[in-house]
This record gives sequence, C-alpha cells and structure tokens, in this order.
Amino acid sequence: MFKTEEMEINLGPQHPSTHGVLRVKLRLDGETVVKCTPIIGYLHRGVEKICEDKTYFQGQVWTDRMDYVASVSNNLGWAEGVEKLFGITVPRRAHYIRTMLTELNRLSSHLLWLGTHALDIGAMTVFLYAFREREQILDCFEAFCGARLTTTAFRIGGLREDLPPGFIKQVQAFQDRFLDCLDEYETLLTENRIWKKRTVGVALLNADDAIALGVTGPVLRAAGNPYDIRKAFPYAAYAEMQFDVPTRTAGDTYARYQVRLEEMRQSHRIIQQCVDGLPEGPVMAKLPKVLKSEVNEVYHAIEAPKGELGYYFVGEKGSQNPYRMHVRAPSFVNLQALPKMTEGKLLADVIAAIGTLDVVLGEVDR
Amino acid sequence: MPMTLTQLVVMALLQIVLLLAFVMMLVPLITFAERKVIAYVQVRLGATRTAGGLWGAQAGRTHKSRTLTGGLNGLMWYLGRVPMLSIFRGLPVFIADAVKLLTKEDIVPEGADKAVFILSPAISVISAFTVFSAVAFAPGALFTFPAWFPIVGGLPFNAFLTDINVGLLFILGISSVGVYGIVLGAWASNSKYPLLGGLRSAAQIISYEVPLTLSLLVPVILTGSLNFNEMARRTATEVHWLAIPLLFVGFFIYTTCAFAETNRVPFDLAEAETELVSGFHTEYTGMKFSFYFLAEYANMILVSALAAGFFLGGHYLLPFGFQTFLMKAGETAWFNQPSILFFLGKVLFLLFVFIWVRATLPRYRYDQLMHVGWKYLIPYTLVLIFVAALIRYIA
Repeated sequence: MFKTEEMEINLGPQHPSTHGVLRVKLRLDGETVVKCTPIIGYLHRGVEKICEDKTYFQGQVWTDRMDYVASVSNNLGWAEGVEKLFGITVPRRAHYIRTMLTELNRLSSHLLWLGTHALDIGAMTVFLYAFREREQILDCFEAFCGARLTTTAFRIGGLREDLPPGFIKQVQAFQDRFLDCLDEYETLLTENRIWKKRTVGVALLNADDAIALGVTGPVLRAAGNPYDIRKAFPYAAYAEMQFDVPTRTAGDTYARYQVRLEEMRQSHRIIQQCVDGLPEGPVMAKLPKVLKSEVNEVYHAIEAPKGELGYYFVGEKGSQNPYRMHVRAPSFVNLQALPKMTEGKLLADVIAAIGTLDVVLGEVDR
Repeated sequence: MPMTLTQLVVMALLQIVLLLAFVMMLVPLITFAERKVIAYVQVRLGATRTAGGLWGAQAGRTHKSRTLTGGLNGLMWYLGRVPMLSIFRGLPVFIADAVKLLTKEDIVPEGADKAVFILSPAISVISAFTVFSAVAFAPGALFTFPAWFPIVGGLPFNAFLTDINVGLLFILGISSVGVYGIVLGAWASNSKYPLLGGLRSAAQIISYEVPLTLSLLVPVILTGSLNFNEMARRTATEVHWLAIPLLFVGFFIYTTCAFAETNRVPFDLAEAETELVSGFHTEYTGMKFSFYFLAEYANMILVSALAAGFFLGGHYLLPFGFQTFLMKAGETAWFNQPSILFFLGKVLFLLFVFIWVRATLPRYRYDQLMHVGWKYLIPYTLVLIFVAALIRYIA
C-alpha cells in the first residue's frame, strides 16, 4: 500500500563528527544503515611522492602533517626507518628521550580521542577535561622543540639538542597529577549507564575480521589479540621498559575505550621509567655530512597511537633522497573496518564507530 | 468586585504583556546561565565579554572602544570589580545574540514548502507561550493597583492570567501542539538531516507525552482537581503521608519525561549535533531559528513550572507534601505563607538541573530512547497511578 524507499545520505565531508573531512555515503532504511561507503581523499597532498624529492632530513617535516595529533610518533618512525637504512646506531640517552616523548604523544593522541569520542556520543564535559591535560603535554613539547603540533622532534641519528633545563621537572609535574585526571574521566564515563548503553556491543569487530582487514592498534587489542609492536619487535628503548599490553575480548566500542584508557596508564608507567632511568651521555650519533644510500630497502614499523605505522624506504645509489617512500598508515587501514562495523546498525552507531576507530584524516589521505 | 468589560480587557492585556516579558526575559537569562554553568562545570570561564563592534568604530581594548558593545563591556568590567558580580561580566552577550538573530539573512531553501516553512516556527513558539496563560506563578494577587490608577485602579493584579478549572488539561493539550511545528518545519525544509531529526522528535515527543501525562495524573488523583492553583495548594499542604513517596517517584519520572519533551540532553536526539548536524532546524536561520530556540527554552520553563507546582510544593516552602507537617505550626507563620519567591526559586533550581545534566550525561540512542519510554516509564507510571488511586481510596 505504501511505497518505501531507502534514503541516501552524505555524512560529511563537512560534518561535526567525521573528524575532519571524511565523507561517508550512507544508505539508510529509516535509521538503519543498509550500506556504508567511506569516501576519502579530500586531504590528499601526495606526501609519499613529495618525499621522493626531499632528502632524508627534509622528509621528516612532512611526517608531522600526516597524523597531526601524533606527530612525534610519525617522526620516530621516519627517523628510525632512515637509521635502519643507513645502519646508524643511536645513543642510549637519545633512545630514552625519544621513548618518553613518544609516550607523551600517545597520551595526547589518546586524550584527543577520548574527548572527541565522548563529545560525539554527547558527553561534552570530558572533552574539555581531556584537553586540559593535553595542553600540559603540548607545553612539554613546546619546551622541547618549540612546536606544539608539528614537532619534527628528532634528527636522523638522535636528537638535535639535549633536553632543555627544567624539562624533567615539567614532565614530572604532569606525571604527578595525570593518574588522578584519568580517574576523573572514568567517574564521568566508565560506569555511566548511558555511556555503557551507547558503547557495549556497538561497532563489533572480532579478532578474525580485524586481522583479515589488517586492523591494528587498540582496535585489534580490544578484540583479544595482544599484538603490540612495542613488545613484538621492540624499538627505541622499549626493550628496557616494563609495561603490559592491555587487551579485552569483547571487540566492541566499550572494550576499545577500556583498552585505550589502560594504555594511557601504561604510557604513564613508561614515561615514569624514562624519567627515572634517563642515562647520561651524548644524544647524537656521529653522522657523515651527506647521507647517501646504497640501493637497499627497509620497512620499519612502530606502534603509533592508532596502530602499526610502517615506513617503507627504497634507497637509490648515490642519492640523498629515497627512490620510493611508502607509509603504512594505521588510520587508513583501520578505516576499512567501518562498513563491517556499522552495516545493519543504527545511524548513531556510525558516529560511535568513527569515533572509536580513532582515524585522523591527514593520515588516511596523506 | 465585578469588573467592567474595559477593565477586563485592559487587565488581561497588562497581564499578557507582563507574562510575555517575563518569559521572554527569562529565556536569554537561561541561555546566559547555561553558558556560565556549563563553563564552570568544564573548568573554564564562559562568556566574559561581548564581541563585535556594534554602533561605532572599533578601537583599542574591547572595554574601552567607542562602540555600543565596547561601552557595555566597559560598564560590565567595572561591575565585575565587585567580587560576586564578576560572573555577570558576559551578560550583555544576550543582547548581542538577539541583535545577531534579528539581523541575520533570512533564508528559505530552494525546494522548501514556503508557507509551511514560515508557519511552523510560529506554531512552536505560539503554543509554547500560550501554555503560560494557565500557569499560576502565585496564588491570589501579586499586588493591588492604587485607586488613582486609570481604568484598573483598585483592582488586584493576579499572578496568573486565567484560572481555568481544567488548567492541566489545557496545558498538556496546547503544549503538545508544539511538536507539529517541529515535524512540519523539518518536513518543509526539503532536506535530509532535518527530515531525520523531525521523524526522531515526532516519535520521541509522542511517546514521552504518554508517561509525562500519566505521571501528572498522580497529583491529579491525589488532589481531585485539574486547576493549577488548587492542585499546587493541595499537593503541598493536604497530602496523605502515604502519598509522599509516591510524589517523589512521580517527580523523577516526570522530570525524565520532561527532559525528553523539551529535547534536552540526554534525549536531544532531534537536534543531536554530532549526528544530524542540527536536526530539525538545520535549514533555519535568523528569527525563524530563534523562534524554535525561544520555544525550546519556554518549554523548559514550562515543564519546570509544572514540576515545581505539582511535585515540589508550588508556592509553598517544602516539596513533596512535607508542607503538610509544617501546617500544624499554624497558617500565619511565614514559612506557611505561599509566596511567588518559593515558586520561582524551585523553577530556577529545576532549570539549573537541566543545564547541569546537559554538562554531564551522554546521549541515548534512538531505539534505546523508545525502549526507556515504552518499556520502563509507562509501566512504572501505571503502577504509580494505581497506588495513588489506592491511597486516595483509603484516605
């Protein structure tokens, strides 16, 4: 008697909760999602191609602009990848400082995720609480390298400068209050009935599907697979650090929330170990004036806040630039899981799913 | 004293103007309170000055520039030197807001149903304001006009516009017309996000109207009246002690439904910013948008007034019928006198709760909202009504 029709709706590219310029084409039957197609590319700058024309020193600047909320992690991946390519050994003190900054960066990235994810689901206060702490971390970055977001924190072979005076004290001040702040977020969310209703069993992704789709990071660990590159293939100073890899088996939004919160606690632990055990010594390895590679290739992966961030370099004989550079961006790969998580669910779950995947469009499009 | 027709009309007009002015002034004040309360919950300052260079050249520091807003800022800046008053520094923001809304370009989207598009905000705002005619802000006269006053000299000025004996019925009836404004406006926008928002809010408001009305039946049964004044007086002062927990539970169910009725967090699905951009009013600009805005906040005042009147003891001091015990101390004691201040205090507290909740809770999902409404609230209220009838039968 009545004619029914599916509605096609564009979520984004200008939409409050698509975290940038993600466009999701949704086919809706009432409020139920029939088909979900993420459309990307609005932020494509061709970083990989640009880096072919840059020297290994210059290229790092571009990595800042991929995952712009976790630029230190990106810098670390680049620096260590290039060091692997040229066989450079980095001093131990530099490793420690790199680890400390990367973990601080993981905190700032997770805090941004927590704030925006909660805001998407409607809890607006957590956002401002999380940003209050993130601000303190960014101040630390500013003290270290003068920049807050686009840090370009490291140099090939170590660090440009040693830590500025008072830096350790600044980090310690943050460390002293951060665990209390985490508890504060948890009082607002963890046992909140509405929060649980919106997250438990929402955007499910089991371990098999996650592996088949190449999903890594907290999303994979929340499905029960304890794959963490910091443990599996230790880099920087992680081999010397004591920390646990939190996992959950549920594979839903709530499990991912718990995993990320626990990860923040572990990051806090790692930072404390770096602060306490910071070795003395130089921060820069001896390098030749000009880096020129033999023809060889290298893949180096690190555990970025979003998942496995891999850099693939192909060197060219006698050239200062990589012949080819490829980034395995965790956001890009993780975003593939979105249709799997949302089809057949409700519109509001799409928002929760985008939030819980924690994608940064600068990294998806590169 | 019987009034002549002229006196009747003039008096009614005076009351209407006062009532409208009261609600219209309260709405911007609530928006200011909302900014400030949420800001303080979120450890920030909120509005501290008004931006923009209205009337005159903008120069120098904001509070010293020779513009209207600059002058206002300067004034408020000096006011802010008094310790407690400093939080009011951002108060002129609502003037700027009003000016902005009035001067914004009025857009009717292409393909929109023009007549309905223009009419629907009016439906919302008219129903929201009409309802107040049956709300009694205080029983009896607020003051008496002096004898020298033209036309209405010597007459008492009541704090309610009409004293209908089916007041509650009138309030519920008129306020449920408001949803037509939302649904029609959403439909007429000819846009997808408003359509989804309108459908959500139609389903939501209609399903929550049921438990809301049913929970209001508890005081109706207990008092045996539908007149606002009468109900407020009796639920405050003549309640059987067995009915006190009943009123308590009824109040919570009513408040929950009231949040849903007014599209506030955690039930703000119709305008869920992170899902539907702005929901049903996405395509509205300028004054048409502000009509929806006014209606929403006027509705908030209304549901708070109803809750204050029927559950929190109305114009009396104590809520949930506890006043009954105080009445034994004699009717002449100050705490037994009905006062408009008690009533307004309760309304303002409830409005604060609205804001407080908004700053704290996440949002329900559409199906969960329906679930809460139909599977929990309606059965609970039915049980409440049954118990209320039982108590009425016993007492």
